[in-house]
Amino acid sequence: MSELDLSPFWLSLRIASLATLLVVATGLPLALVLARGNFVGKGILSGVVLLPLVMPPTVLGYVLLLILGRRSWLGGLLEHALGWTVVFHWSGGVIASAVAAFPLFLLPARSAFEGVEPRLEQMARLLGRTNWSVFASVTLPLAWRGLASGVILAFVRALGDFGATLMVAGDMPGRTRTVSMAIYDAAVLRDDPKTALVFTAMVSTVSVVALVITQTLWARRPRTP
Amino acid sequence: MREWEDIREMLQVSLVKQVHSQLKLTIQLALGSECGVLFGRSGAGKTSLLHLIAGFMPAESGRIVLAGRTLFDSDQRLNMPLRARGIGYIDQRDSLFPHLDTRRNIGFGLQGWAADQARARVQEVADLCGINRLLTRYPETLSGGERQRVGLARALAPRPALLLCDEPVSALDFAARFELLDRLRTIQRVEKLPILLVTHSPAEALAVGDRLFHLEGGTIRAEGPPLQVLTSASLGRHAWREPVRNLIPAFVERQNPADGETVVRLAGDHGLQLTVPYQEAAVGVPLRVVVRSDEILLGLETATSLAGRISARNILPGRVEQIFPHDGEAEVVVRTGDVRWTVSVVAASIPSLHLNPEAEVQLIIKARSCQLLESALDD
Repeated sequence: MSELDLSPFWLSLRIASLATLLVVATGLPLALVLARGNFVGKGILSGVVLLPLVMPPTVLGYVLLLILGRRSWLGGLLEHALGWTVVFHWSGGVIASAVAAFPLFLLPARSAFEGVEPRLEQMARLLGRTNWSVFASVTLPLAWRGLASGVILAFVRALGDFGATLMVAGDMPGRTRTVSMAIYDAAVLRDDPKTALVFTAMVSTVSVVALVITQTLWARRPRTP
Repeated sequence: MREWEDIREMLQVSLVKQVHSQLKLTIQLALGSECGVLFGRSGAGKTSLLHLIAGFMPAESGRIVLAGRTLFDSDQRLNMPLRARGIGYIDQRDSLFPHLDTRRNIGFGLQGWAADQARARVQEVADLCGINRLLTRYPETLSGGERQRVGLARALAPRPALLLCDEPVSALDFAARFELLDRLRTIQRVEKLPILLVTHSPAEALAVGDRLFHLEGGTIRAEGPPLQVLTSASLGRHAWREPVRNLIPAFVERQNPADGETVVRLAGDHGLQLTVPYQEAAVGVPLRVVVRSDEILLGLETATSLAGRISARNILPGRVEQIFPHDGEAEVVVRTGDVRWTVSVVAASIPSLHLNPEAEVQLIIKARSCQLLESALDD
């Protein structure tokens, strides 16, 4: 019996963590704009950002390939300017799983911001605070439960992504093979149920813990006055 | 009168704003270091005017100057951000930060103050608002009246140049309402702070106002001493269905628990005393006596001839100062020593008692018509 290679699990954790950072960095301002802003095209934008939720993962991955592939305009630019090839590289997995996970952060984040009464923010401004200070001391503390559950949901979604990541990053053992691909490889291609079961247990544990945390967060939502 | 002019220059508002298709505000208003009341029906534009002054929305044209600083000027394209306006705001629902305790709510506007100064200021306004015991509590554990007092303390803490109050007591019960209004009046004097308070209740306007602006259809129809403006505004009887309250500062003089009576001495009023229903309070404690204007009788007999021949416990000699007839009724202002009372009578009583300014009358007040409120301050 060979030693179990845990590297797909660690790679998945790394990819999911970086993807979550990417999602929060881009999704936080977008959620705030969608919750507070009033502009032309808001409806279309709100719809477009939810597309990854309804598109088949392979379609999503193929679109990303079209955008980021070496022959695409953006992919070529990245490769020439930064020497960075996204496709068939683990960073492509970060981008692919981030896109797939994006709506799962955006939806709770947006409703968390919408749940903060604008009146409280106006009061904070009138009490001498700058917009940034109002965000940090009023909006964020009142929205953090929703934001935190969004972060967890996005992380779990990114951790388990299969289709989009496979399309963009491929399945190269030790380089881009994530835990989902390792399970598929072990269970379907190599008839190695033990490896598949161990990885399944590990991913399931992380997912269940994450769900318990989100449910606890929502159960403890503060009463609104 | 130079002094009067200076006082009137604290807040100057001149603006035009189409708030919505049914309401266009055209406002000229000047307020001194006094409590101004914006009175009017709902939809008259009272709240919109407060929002314009606070900067929650911009006017189309005009100018707002507060204590010599221009907050808004359409000609100069100047619209000062909220944080720089120096305005305190309280409204009908509390806007306390639910994630902060009372102390941090009050201190919220003191960012940038030295820590010891901020601490001292929080303590000072907490004393002023009577919320010392609530400093470690969170908003969800406070009653409606307590929340409004915390909101008031928070608004006052950064020493605003103006306090805007949008129906601050409309969600409170009777005692809490007049307690807060009384507190506002005291604070106005202590902090020398101009206050602009929105209400649709004549009773509230009279309890707190030095000057009243009657807003109707987006413009100020009349302004002046509250009782005068209100009684000449043809508001109709329904507007007066809530009786006017006299809020009289007093001190506990002595306690007669056996007779179920407390005797209070009216502050600064030549030792005039009132007998009120027994209430536990130490002798010397300052408080407010609240008496409804329609529960006071006016009599022409002398106190000595009435004493022992009428069940009312209080007979105070006074002199009529002014009479304001309105809507088949009349508000009679009577002075006893240093205290002015408003007494509501039906209009027919004026000729039948030959009431006119300078007339000597007796105020006849049942003990049971007197309620005691905790006093804002020993003032």
